[in-house]
Amino acid sequence: MGHKYQAIQWNGNKLVYDAYVVIAGVAFLGAFFFVGLAPHPSGHAADPVVLAIRALGSAAFVFLTIILAIGPLARLSRRFLPLLYNRRHLGVFTFLIALAHFGLATLWYHGGGPLNPLVSLIVSGQPGDPFPGVPFELLGLAAFAILFVMASTSHDFFLNHLGAPVWKAIHMGVYIAYGLIVLHVAYGYLATEAGPLAPALVYGSFTGLAGLHVASGLAEWRKDGAMSGRKGPFGRDWIEIGDPTRIPDGCAVIAPLPRGDRVAIFRDGRSLYAVQNACRHQNGPLGEGALIDGLITCPWHGWQYSPRNGVSPAPFSERIATHDLRLESGVLFVSARPNPLGREGATVAIGGAIVGGYNGDAAP
Amino acid sequence: MTLNRGIISSPDERDMFIGWARAPAVDRRFLVAALPLGLAGVGGAGYALAAALDDPGAGAWLTGATHEVEGVFSRTPYPMLRIADPAAPFGMRTILVIAEGKCTSALALDAFAGEAVRASGVLIERGPRRALEVPLAHQDWIAQLDAPPSPALAAPAEEDLGPVSLAGMIMDSKCFFGVMKPARGRTHKACASLCIRGGIPPSFWARTPDGREAVLLMTNADGGPMGDAILPLVAEPARVTGRLVRVGDIVQLRADAGDYAPADA
Repeated sequence: MGHKYQAIQWNGNKLVYDAYVVIAGVAFLGAFFFVGLAPHPSGHAADPVVLAIRALGSAAFVFLTIILAIGPLARLSRRFLPLLYNRRHLGVFTFLIALAHFGLATLWYHGGGPLNPLVSLIVSGQPGDPFPGVPFELLGLAAFAILFVMASTSHDFFLNHLGAPVWKAIHMGVYIAYGLIVLHVAYGYLATEAGPLAPALVYGSFTGLAGLHVASGLAEWRKDGAMSGRKGPFGRDWIEIGDPTRIPDGCAVIAPLPRGDRVAIFRDGRSLYAVQNACRHQNGPLGEGALIDGLITCPWHGWQYSPRNGVSPAPFSERIATHDLRLESGVLFVSARPNPLGREGATVAIGGAIVGGYNGDAAP
Repeated sequence: MTLNRGIISSPDERDMFIGWARAPAVDRRFLVAALPLGLAGVGGAGYALAAALDDPGAGAWLTGATHEVEGVFSRTPYPMLRIADPAAPFGMRTILVIAEGKCTSALALDAFAGEAVRASGVLIERGPRRALEVPLAHQDWIAQLDAPPSPALAAPAEEDLGPVSLAGMIMDSKCFFGVMKPARGRTHKACASLCIRGGIPPSFWARTPDGREAVLLMTNADGGPMGDAILPLVAEPARVTGRLVRVGDIVQLRADAGDYAPADA
C-alpha cells in the first residue's frame, strides 16, 4: 500500500505478469513482421518502415482492447483478477507501443518536407487547405495525447496526490481514447486496405468490448435491484438489506446508497460490518473482495482495512469510512450516512450456522 | 470456469487472487490453461493481420548503391535526365531527378538546364519508370560535361496521343516509384501531399482496360508543372479528362487541376 514511493514496487506476481506482457508483445510484433516481411503473393515486398508503423499501430489497438476487457471480465469472474492486478504495467507497455507508432508515422509520413512534421500532422487532416479529408491523423493524435496523460500519471505518486476519484476520472479517459482510435483506424488504415479481416477485428473488438461492459453492468444492475435500497422503519437514512444470514462468511454484499455510492457489508463469522465500497487506492470494489486474516481485502490490488474502523494495518495509514448497522426482527439495515474516517461503525451479531464464504477453514 | 454472477461474492469462489500473495491453486490452473491460449491468440492476430495486407505494390528503392548516368538535364516540366538507351523504347530513358526528403523544389539546377551532365544518386524504379534520388545539401552529384547535348535528348519528339478520360489515383512519383510500399490511399495522403507540394512530380496511376498498370507523368494542359491545386485529390480515387502526349519515352497526362474530380463525384 502507499506507505512510501518506489519507481516500481516489484513482487513475484508483477515480474511474471510483465514477462507475459513482453512475451505477448513479441508474439504479436514477431508474427506480424515474420509474415509482413515475406514477399506478398504478388512477389512485391513491403517497406519495413511502413510495416513497422502498421504493426505497432495494430499492436497498440489489440493491447488496448485487452486492457479494456480485463475490467468487466474480472467483475464477471474472479479468475481474471490476476490480469487486473498489474494492468497499469500493461497500460504503460501499450503506451510505449503507441509512442513508437506515433513517432515512426510522424517522421516517415510527415518528416523531410516543407512543413515541420508536427505542424504537418496537425494541418494535414483539416478541411480546406492544404489537405482536406477526414482528419484521421488528428483523431490518432488526440488519442495519443490522452494515453500520454494517463501513462504520465500512472504512478501511485499521482494517485495519492490527486486522490482516487480525480485519478480515476482522468484514467477513464481511456474510453475516449479507444473511441478515437477506432475512428483513427476506420478513416485511415481501413480506408486504405481492402481486406475484410482488419475491419472484422476492429469492429468485432469494439462490439465485443461493448458487450462485455453491458454484461458486467447488467450484473451490477441486477444486484443493485436485488438490494433495492428500500427504506425501513428507521427513517430515510437507513437502508434495508434483508436477511443477513445469506451473506457468505468472509464475503460481502454490496448495496447502493441514495447518493449513488455503495456500501459493502462483510460477514466475519457471526459478526457483520459495513464500510464504503470504494477502495482508497483506485476505487476498487471492496465488496467484491474478501476477509483475509480478518481484514477486508480489495480484489484489485490487495489493499487491506480493518472491518471495525476501516483503517489499514500498520505501518499503513489509509482509512475508509464505516457505516452503522442495526438488526431488527432478523432484518439487517445499514446507515446511508458514512461515519467520520477512523470511527468504528455499529456492528451486529447474528445467530445460526456459518455457511459458505471465503473463510474457507471454517466453511464446509 | 465458473462465472461469478457479479457483485456478490459467490461461496463457490472462495479463493481470491491477491497480488502480493501466492496465487490460489484455482487461479494457477486457470492461468496455465488460459495464458497459452491468450498468447496464441495475440500472435495469431498479428500473423493474420499481416497476411491480410494488400499488395504493397511494385517498385524498388535501391539504397546502398550509387547509380551514375550521363545524359541531358531538363528543368521542365520537372527536373529530369534523358539518357540514351538503344534498348529502351524510342532509344532513350527519362529519369526524374528527386531530392532526398520531400523538398525537390529546393534543388538549384537552372544552370544545368539543357546541358549534357553526369549525375549520380540512388536509383528508384518501378517497371520502366526511373527516378534518381540526389542530395539536397550539395551539388557534387552533378557535373556538366564538355560534350554538347544531344539534340534528340535535349528536345525529344512530342506526339499527341489524343484526348483521354481516366479513373485512377494521384500519387507522388518518389514514394510510388518504390520509396514507400504501399504508397497509396488515405494513410499515405499527407505524405504524398507533402511530396507534391515540395516539388516531387505527381503521377497518375491508372489501370488500362486489359488490367495493366499505367503511370502517367502529370502536367498542366500546357505541359508545365502541376500546381498545388490538385493537392485535395491526392491519394484519393479520382477521374480526369485531358490529353496524352508522348515526350520521348514517357507519356504525359496533360490536364489542368480543374479537369480532375473525385471518382465518386
